This record gives sequence, C-alpha cells and structure tokens, in this order.
Amino acid sequence: MTTLPLTTTRRFTTGGFTTGGARARPGPWRAGLRQTLRAEWTKLVSLRSTQWTLLVTVVGALLVTFLSTHGALHHSRGWYRGFDPTNQSLAGLAIGSLTLGILGVLAMSSEYGTGTIRSSLTAMPRRGVLLTAKAVLVGLGTLVIGEALSFMVFFEGQAVLSGGAPTASLGQPGVFRAVALSGAFLALFALLGLGIGAVIRHTAGAIAVFAGCTLLAPILVSSISESSARFAPELIFANSAAAVVAHPNSLSVTLGVVLMLAYCAVALGLGALLLNRRDA
Amino acid sequence: MIVTRGLTKRYGKAVAVADLSFTVSPGVVTGFLGPNGSGKSTTMRMILGLDVPDAGSAYINGSAYTDLSWPLREVGALLDAKAFHPGRSARNHLRWLAQTNDIPQNRVEAVLDIVGLTAVADRRAGKFSLGMGQRLGIAGALLGDPGVLLFDEPVNGLDPEGIRWVRHLLLDLASEGRTVLVSSHLINEMALTAERLVVIGRGTLIAETSVDDFTANHRSDAVRIVTPTPQRFVAALSRAGARPSVGDDGAIVASGLSSADIGELAAGQALTVHELTPLRASLEDVFMELTSSSIEYRSHTVDDAAAHDALPVR
Repeated sequence: MTTLPLTTTRRFTTGGFTTGGARARPGPWRAGLRQTLRAEWTKLVSLRSTQWTLLVTVVGALLVTFLSTHGALHHSRGWYRGFDPTNQSLAGLAIGSLTLGILGVLAMSSEYGTGTIRSSLTAMPRRGVLLTAKAVLVGLGTLVIGEALSFMVFFEGQAVLSGGAPTASLGQPGVFRAVALSGAFLALFALLGLGIGAVIRHTAGAIAVFAGCTLLAPILVSSISESSARFAPELIFANSAAAVVAHPNSLSVTLGVVLMLAYCAVALGLGALLLNRRDA
Repeated sequence: MIVTRGLTKRYGKAVAVADLSFTVSPGVVTGFLGPNGSGKSTTMRMILGLDVPDAGSAYINGSAYTDLSWPLREVGALLDAKAFHPGRSARNHLRWLAQTNDIPQNRVEAVLDIVGLTAVADRRAGKFSLGMGQRLGIAGALLGDPGVLLFDEPVNGLDPEGIRWVRHLLLDLASEGRTVLVSSHLINEMALTAERLVVIGRGTLIAETSVDDFTANHRSDAVRIVTPTPQRFVAALSRAGARPSVGDDGAIVASGLSSADIGELAAGQALTVHELTPLRASLEDVFMELTSSSIEYRSHTVDDAAAHDALPVR
C-alpha cells in the first residue's frame, strides 16, 4: 500500500476557494439537467465496463453477422424463396440488444450496488432530473452506437452475401428503413434496461428480468401460443423492425415500434415513480 | 445550521427515529451520539433527503435539502465509506461529483491534496483500503466548500494517524465557522472534538447539551479507600453520612463525601489510610448509563457487574 502523505502535522484550511472560487456562486439559477448530464457523461466514460461492453457489442455483432450471412451462401434456388438479405445481415444486432440493454440496466443498478446512488442523490436531490439525465445519455449514446453498428453490419453482411447469394442495397424499398430502425431499436433496448434497472435496483435481478422479458419470454410464450410470441421485444426487433420481407406471424412495423416504445415508457415511468417514492 | 423538528421514521412496525428535534449550530463540532442501531444514520439520511420521514422535517439553513439550489456547495456529507463505484478512479469520482454542482475542477485537486490521496488519485477506488475510502468520502464532502458538514462515523477504518487527522479536520472546519455534525457510537472519541452533544437512543432524544454540562450533570463522584481496618472505616463513614460499600478486593467505595472530607475524617478518628482515590464517572459511563435502556443489540458479559465499575477520570 502506498504511504499516504501525512497531513496530521500540517494545519490546513479547506478554504482554498479564495483562489478556486467555489464560494463565488455560479449564478442565481440552480443545479439542473445541464450539470447532471455532464456528470453522468463523466460517470459513463470513466468506467472500463462501458468500454468493454461496447467492444463486446461491436465485435460480437460483426462476428454473428459474418456467420449468419456466410451460412446463407451457395444454397439451391428454392432455399432463397422469401430470402431477406437485409434481415440476414442484421442478425448480429441481437448481441447488441442484450449488451446495450445490460448497459442500460447497469447505469442505474450499479449505483445501488456500489452505494454511488447516495452520492448522486445528495449532489442532485431532484431524482427525476437524475433519471432524465441518464435516459438522455444512455438513449442518445446507444442511438449513435446502434445506428453506426447497424449500418456497419449491413454493409458487412452484403459484402459477404455478394460472394454467392442475393444482396440488398439501401436504395431498395424498405431497406434503409429496416437498417435505420434496427439501430434505433438498440437504443430502445438500452432504455428498457435503464427502466428495469430503476425498478429492480439489484444488478443480477434486473439483468435476469431484462433477459427474461426480451429473450426468454418469446421462447416460453411460443411454446404456449405461437402467435403471442410476436409481442416480445426481441421478436418485434428481429421480425418486424429489421425485416424488409414481411415475416409470417409478425407484427406490422408501425405496431411493433409503438409497442416497443410503450414497453420503454412503462419501464421508465415505473422506474421514475419508484425512484421518487423509495428511500435511497 | 441544521434543524430537525419532530423527525420520525418507521420501518414496518419498528420505529427507527421517533419525534426527534434538535438544532446544530455553526462554529462548534456537534457530536451525534448513540449506540449502534439507535437511528443516527437514518436521521442523517433524512436530513440529506435520501430517506423521506414519516413525520416531521429537517432544514439546512432554513430550507429542506431537496430545495437547495447548489446542494454540494451548501452541504457536504460523508455517509458511508463506500459511496463510490469501485471501478472508477478517485479523481474521476470527484470530477463527476464536482460537475453536478458546477464546482471548478481545480477544487478536485485541492481536496485530493487535503485528504492526501493525490498520489493514488488515478487508481481504481475499489483497490482502496477502508481508510483510503474514508478519505475519498471526506474529499467528496469538502468538494463544494460547504458551510454545513455531516460525517457519519468518520474515523471508521482509519489508523491512529488518520484518526488524529480527522479530529484536527473537524476542529478546523468548525473554527472556520461551519456547522459540523459528527456521528459516533464512541463517546470518548467525541469528547476530544465535540463541544456540543446530541445523544439519542432508540431513535429518541436523550440529551442535547454541551459536553461539559453533560458530564457535570451526570457526575456521580465516589472515593475509593484502601485501609487495613475496613469495618471501622465503613462505620465511621456511615456515621458521617456517606454511603460506603466494600468491593470484592476489600477496597471501600464511598459516595456522598469528598476525598478531602474523608481524609479529615480518617485523621480525626486515627484511621489508617493506604490509598484514597477520587473516582469520577467518565463520559463513557454516563453515556452507557443513559443509553443502557435503549441499546438495541445488547451483549451480555460473564460478569456484568464489572462493567459498571467506575473508572478514574481520563
């Protein structure tokens, strides 16, 4: 252990502010969303787990898309009936829906797990502002990453498919919409995770609920009723948002988007309600 | 200035804090004393707006914590040693904390220097010892140069040097005219720094007083006498109006007379005295006596009586 500089003998004063100027109030206004956004940004980028999550997301998505499109090469003519090259290339984003969702969960639950929440709420006692700042940052951050990644895997996938399968281009009807919407969906998964993190507060429990809702639910539900599974977030994503060729037994794009937005709104709304009501 | 009025908090049926009212004034260190589980931390969390009271309210400089415009510039708090993410460096922890209240970034370096963490500021805080974590918490409390400071058990996990450092820090902060509330379950620690005391047990106020009054009002003076003729001495003491008792070691402990009176008495009646020691209840004894009925988690010693023996004044 490093020896700490001895301060016991030194008489210090904490009023170093005559030079620093924290005593000089910044103005008549008060700490609000602007300050909290800056602080939340620092929080997010100063954790190695954020960087690891993004790395796993990008590498994982590129890999899965490669495998998915490579497996679609050189089949018989009949195999390509109803083939959706866009959808095939976006397969890698499923990884992102999980990892970015967990990023959203952690943005809230890790504060409780580590005790940081008490620092956060003494610095910004208006809890709605804190959750709003997190939602804005997590939402916008994952939107940028999601869009970039979506277009990346699309082009990657089309490049692989060009070696011996039908391909798609952004100019074809519905293709651009599917790619752009898929990127946005990644941000929605992150917001869903954030909401669940605010409700559950324990990282393991919140991740379990998130994964249960998105991944496990469709499997369980489809074993009971095939047609209900299409309401699950992951299937809306894969079969409605990311599809150009309408998938049998799936929701329309519009209905899928509305439903996904509703899921996020419910999770974040409930999270905000409980955050305001519960003791930290 | 911190003011609480009728602060009450229940967890289910258990009452953690009941109708607690006290005032903490600037310029002196105020000790917030109570046994473990007496509601000190809950009270501090309510003052900081983290827990919502079931009844009553707390004010800092006249307003509720949640209404403060720049909370960290008005109030600094150390709640528990680990209110930071273990994966973030000390410097980054303080950086985001500063940003929430538009506190200039040079203040981060200033408080790192004050608590002596500059050399390890870029290390992940999760690698810190309990004492270093405590220093980081204190740095966070000092960050906004606040006029009101709350410390919950600040010497926990600190080495003797660190403890001495915290004592000086608290005294310096108070001497600069700040309001300083420090919780502890160790009264002797408080006796070294605090001038005022707020004592609670089972969530209710037991005393709100100065340290001097606290000991003076609860002092039970006694004198310990060692003599080869205890029976005669006891008889003489009883006749003189004292209340003597003979301990297991044969020594007499008498209350009701000063040591000077007893010396005169012995000289007048030609009683041999080998030892004559004035005993005073220490702050600790007073505290134990006052809170003994309110200790939540009581331990039982083999010889409970021994624990109540009066100790010489420190």
